[in-house]
Amino acid sequence: MTAITGADTAATAEAVKFLQTRHRFHWAEVLPWVIAIAVFYLLPGYRLLATQILVMILFALSLDLIVGYAGIISLGHTAFFGTGAYITALLAANNIPDPLIGLVAAAIGAAVLGFLSGWVLLRTAGLTLLVLTMAVTIMLGELANDFDEITGGFDGINFTNSEIFGLIEIDQLWYTSSYIYVLVVLFLSFLLIRTIVHAPFGRMLIGIRENTKRMSAIGTPVHQRQVLVYVISAAIAGIAGALWVQVQGNVTTGVYAFELSGDVLIMIILGGTGRLYGAFIGATVFKILESLTEQILGTNQPYWQLTIGIVLILTVLFARRGLYGIFEDIGEKWKDRSQ
Amino acid sequence: MSKPILETRDLAKNFGALAVTDNVNFALAPGARHAIIGPNGAGKTTLINLLTGALSPSSGSVYLAGGDITGMAEYQRVKNGIARTFQINTLFMGLSVIENLYLAISERMGVATSLVRPAGKDSAVMEEAVRILNILKLEEDSLTEIHELPYGRQRLVEIAIALALDPKVLLLDEPAAGVPTTESHIILDAVDSLPKDIAVLIIEHDMDVVFRFAERITVLVRGAILAEGSPDDIAANEEVQAVYLGEGSHD
Repeated sequence: MTAITGADTAATAEAVKFLQTRHRFHWAEVLPWVIAIAVFYLLPGYRLLATQILVMILFALSLDLIVGYAGIISLGHTAFFGTGAYITALLAANNIPDPLIGLVAAAIGAAVLGFLSGWVLLRTAGLTLLVLTMAVTIMLGELANDFDEITGGFDGINFTNSEIFGLIEIDQLWYTSSYIYVLVVLFLSFLLIRTIVHAPFGRMLIGIRENTKRMSAIGTPVHQRQVLVYVISAAIAGIAGALWVQVQGNVTTGVYAFELSGDVLIMIILGGTGRLYGAFIGATVFKILESLTEQILGTNQPYWQLTIGIVLILTVLFARRGLYGIFEDIGEKWKDRSQ
Repeated sequence: MSKPILETRDLAKNFGALAVTDNVNFALAPGARHAIIGPNGAGKTTLINLLTGALSPSSGSVYLAGGDITGMAEYQRVKNGIARTFQINTLFMGLSVIENLYLAISERMGVATSLVRPAGKDSAVMEEAVRILNILKLEEDSLTEIHELPYGRQRLVEIAIALALDPKVLLLDEPAAGVPTTESHIILDAVDSLPKDIAVLIIEHDMDVVFRFAERITVLVRGAILAEGSPDDIAANEEVQAVYLGEGSHD
């Protein structure tokens, strides 16, 4: 710890120490990765579902950056997910099948879209912004449907990836290498996001969420900063979209579905917004519930929508900070008792 | 009077047909202790908003240290040395006191967009935060979230944030508003002890505060300047007494 000179009191020293050490890793942070590896070995039959969960965690993380940290509400994050997906698929179908190039191109393409749409949309806020973000992804979905010579329309595009580094094939049958591939990309992306939110940039985003008027009054160009985080979030959503289609080997207009935007928003509300691990819990619970409902009650849409609707209402009523908030409370109680 | 640090020329703001600021020519000297008084609806807060750039004027201009800043955005004016407090607390309610200061200082020092190094590791920012906590005697509340603080303490954080911006000009919009009279002396002491090199403009209803603090007073009525002068001049001005002081309960 760096010593702070001047007239510190015990109270200020404690406060400084708290801020200086807040970014440190807690032992519990190893849990999601241990579970992910355990699932791979112990439940090989569920690797497809688990792969989908990993991708959704990444997508949810990207949304949490803007919703949970910067307080920018969006119902159209599939605009970036879908754009990343189509860019990757189109590259692969046009003789650029390298999956890593696909990821990078997806990130850049989604980031450019994020910049262009964000610059205009982020001049609005609240409900207006919500509807406009939704409109963008619906519009892109319609474009993908209309330009069917390029996108394959409703049927979509089938493609094959080349090997990663010319060595590792992304298998689309047993989800062995593809599971590990997705897990590694998620892990690296997570480290990046975790670093960002603990850096001054992340604190600044929280300031924007808490009070934009005050942010302007301390000299923050709020709109510019909102666009900046929107671009970063879009790039990560683009990577998630790319992964989603790479492991399946095909893309359809479903990647632009605004219902999926709603789903991912529900995931972070369920898990808890503005706390990163909420995305892990939310995406996992959401996808497992969806799968269970289908197994028990059948694939009829109303059953699933009823289930998730009830779960969401219960969360909002009894766990305002999401399921992760419950874990936090238990952790606090535990600490109090052991002291 | 020395060359003004902040100045307006023929500044006007209309909301529809209503002239809220009416051709105001106002100058604030470096290091001044200046008060703006006036009855409710005189356009005092509007004037502050025009000075900070939160509002843009219908006509006229604003100068900072001789340079025209009329077209400059609010955040740029802050970076150039104009800080303000709000009449109603405008703070990061869910964050601790030290984090409120942290945000202001990291923005001022230009590290707010740094993406890699953990926030607490910048010791220049932390030292400055501790320094400001000391000045306003907020040490014991460093880690208290704003919404848990009594309103009077929150008012101190308003001033602390403004000081953390290292301003040349400080605009205080009713700093003691909403604070019980038994506690308002804490705010006033803080205002009294502001560094002398900062030009302070205060808007205040409480005449005791104004006459204790100000070396110069401007009286604003219906958006226009009615009178300006030393506290004694203003107290003796019959016009001012008629429209303003006479209405109050000042003794």
